[in-house]
Amino acid sequence: MKLDKLAGGVAVSTLMLVPSVAMAGDVVWWTPNWSQERAQKLADDFHKANPDINIKLQITTSNGLPQQVMTALQSGSGPDIIEVQHGWVQGYAQSDLVLPLDDTIQDKADYNKAVIAEDTYDGKLYAIPYRIECTALIYNMDDYLKAGLDPANPPQTWDDWMAASKKMTTGGVYGMAITGGGEFGNTITRALPLVWMNGGDIISADGKKAVINSPEAVAAIKFYTDFYTNKVSPDSTLQNDGVANRQLFIAGKVASYLTGQYDIAPIAQAAPNLKIGAFMTPHPAGKQTAGILNGWSFVIPKDAQNPTDAKKFLQFLNTKDNQGYFTDTFPARVSALDLPRFQDPTLKPFAGMLPYGRPTPNTPHWVQISQAMFNGIQRILSGQQDPQAAMDQANDEIQALLDSD
Amino acid sequence: MARPSPGLMFILPAILILMMLIAYPIVYTLILSAVDAHGNFTIKNYANVLKPYVTRQAFQNLIVYVGGSIVFQVILGTAAALLLNRKFWGRGVVRSITLIPWVVPGIVAATTWAWMFHTEFGIINYMLAGAHIIPGPIGWLTNPNTVMPVLVAINVWKLFPFVAIMVLAGLQAIPAELYEAAKIDGATVWDEIVQITLPQVRPVLVAVTLLLVIWGLNAITLIYAITQGGPANLSLITPIQIYQLAFVSFQFNAAAALSVLFFIVAAIIVAIYIKVIPSSAETAR
Repeated sequence: MKLDKLAGGVAVSTLMLVPSVAMAGDVVWWTPNWSQERAQKLADDFHKANPDINIKLQITTSNGLPQQVMTALQSGSGPDIIEVQHGWVQGYAQSDLVLPLDDTIQDKADYNKAVIAEDTYDGKLYAIPYRIECTALIYNMDDYLKAGLDPANPPQTWDDWMAASKKMTTGGVYGMAITGGGEFGNTITRALPLVWMNGGDIISADGKKAVINSPEAVAAIKFYTDFYTNKVSPDSTLQNDGVANRQLFIAGKVASYLTGQYDIAPIAQAAPNLKIGAFMTPHPAGKQTAGILNGWSFVIPKDAQNPTDAKKFLQFLNTKDNQGYFTDTFPARVSALDLPRFQDPTLKPFAGMLPYGRPTPNTPHWVQISQAMFNGIQRILSGQQDPQAAMDQANDEIQALLDSD
Repeated sequence: MARPSPGLMFILPAILILMMLIAYPIVYTLILSAVDAHGNFTIKNYANVLKPYVTRQAFQNLIVYVGGSIVFQVILGTAAALLLNRKFWGRGVVRSITLIPWVVPGIVAATTWAWMFHTEFGIINYMLAGAHIIPGPIGWLTNPNTVMPVLVAINVWKLFPFVAIMVLAGLQAIPAELYEAAKIDGATVWDEIVQITLPQVRPVLVAVTLLLVIWGLNAITLIYAITQGGPANLSLITPIQIYQLAFVSFQFNAAAALSVLFFIVAAIIVAIYIKVIPSSAETAR
């Protein structure tokens, strides 16, 4: 009698320990909180067209997201669809954590080529990109006009840019804010494209050699930090990230700064009377502009419970209209850029940067490498080293990382 | 065959849990530090972690941080305890207020201080510049010369109440006859403090300082919340470096190696402290 009760108890508790299995027809979707409403609408639309498939949303936040996703993928008990940044896909593909999606993507030729390349590993596509963006410059129209500058003729070269920023630095307002603090990704997104524009790079194309101390790269870094040295960027630059710069911009303390178009809506909400203008990031004379192609892709974990229905849902999400609806910035499909939503003139400079966007280098130590470059930039800003010495030290640190495998 | 003693049976569950929670992670960390990403035995992790300059910089910062904090925590805490021991009106209220820095949660205190010291929005720059004590805004948390002193000051503010309370308790145990005898012999207040009070609270100070050393070597809340170890590793300390290696760069093997090294160094520091300080207290008697 006692043994029966014991066996029954063990059986019940074992069943309770088994994680709740999603029933066939359920697709669990991890989606970030900033696009939650749109995600819910798309999920409802899909459910109406496919009543036997249930889309379950689980909302994620950006804080700690890479660690959260990595844990879910490695534990094998994650959702069916996850939204990740393009730069993370290579790491997942190399560790065989996500499914190839060549059979799921439709109209592959319609997609931005650079981002498809970034999501491809060993000849197979491991993620479907839906959102791409580049940074450009946002400026305060009133300060711009007051400085005697012409909105129809924005600065094109670095010399024009520095001159215009100096002209806007007057009356307690700083002309051009750079980032020098906060999470290092902020500064890498803004400084690395300048290095690219000038013909330099952070690591060589084969990923074996650190090249951040080449003359072209050092000149670009010097140009970036000169905004602070010339007092065109606020005193608090070493503590400011993109969000801090946006708040300074809203408060009218800063006349322009580098950012993506996702800042336009928060600025319009916080300061409705602030007239915003934008122009493409200026380039060195005789060279082309560049930007880091950031954005988000969908992946399906290898151990997803319901990959078949998940793939069907991905095809629905990535039609031209749905991509155009869902993205916060720009869609990855070139044809979707024709949608009315993207015809706003303020967005034109950001769309203009997209063809010049490049992905970040694909290397397993990218986090530490970009941290080394960021530390070098901070050493220059804090006056500890000059640009050449700071980049030499960063170069040694990056080379040590590349050699340590 | 004798039955195992009932006492042993009672503590067995607790021992098992402690083994899992303490012994297993320690052993696993040791193993992690000695293998590479594929599981093969290697000592490369220790080399990789000792070579970069940042490891030395972090350790130097840690010594400055812990040493500087302890000196001022003990001095300020003892002074506060001596003052709070005197009888004056409102003493209970003042004692409670003195406790506030210690009681406030670390993150709350750190974020508030970070905002107060902010170069652009901080109230400290605002007040000092407004009173014309400084010519312009000072980058307290970004200037190489000020960032560590400011962090030490915040740490002192946070923990001196702990020293004050402990020393205050010790002061209650001093017999009043000692003071009366000293007064008869013509001792001044300063003589009383140096000759009677301090030697009597020495055991308390020894224990308190040992605790401060152990806590200080492990504390990352304040620095991590205020500067994250930056800018450019100017305020980086070894525990934060371990955290960054493990959870930002996902280099678990290197982080384990640094943890093992740090544990050895911390154990040596504490062992030296335990050997040196109390023995001199014995000879003083």
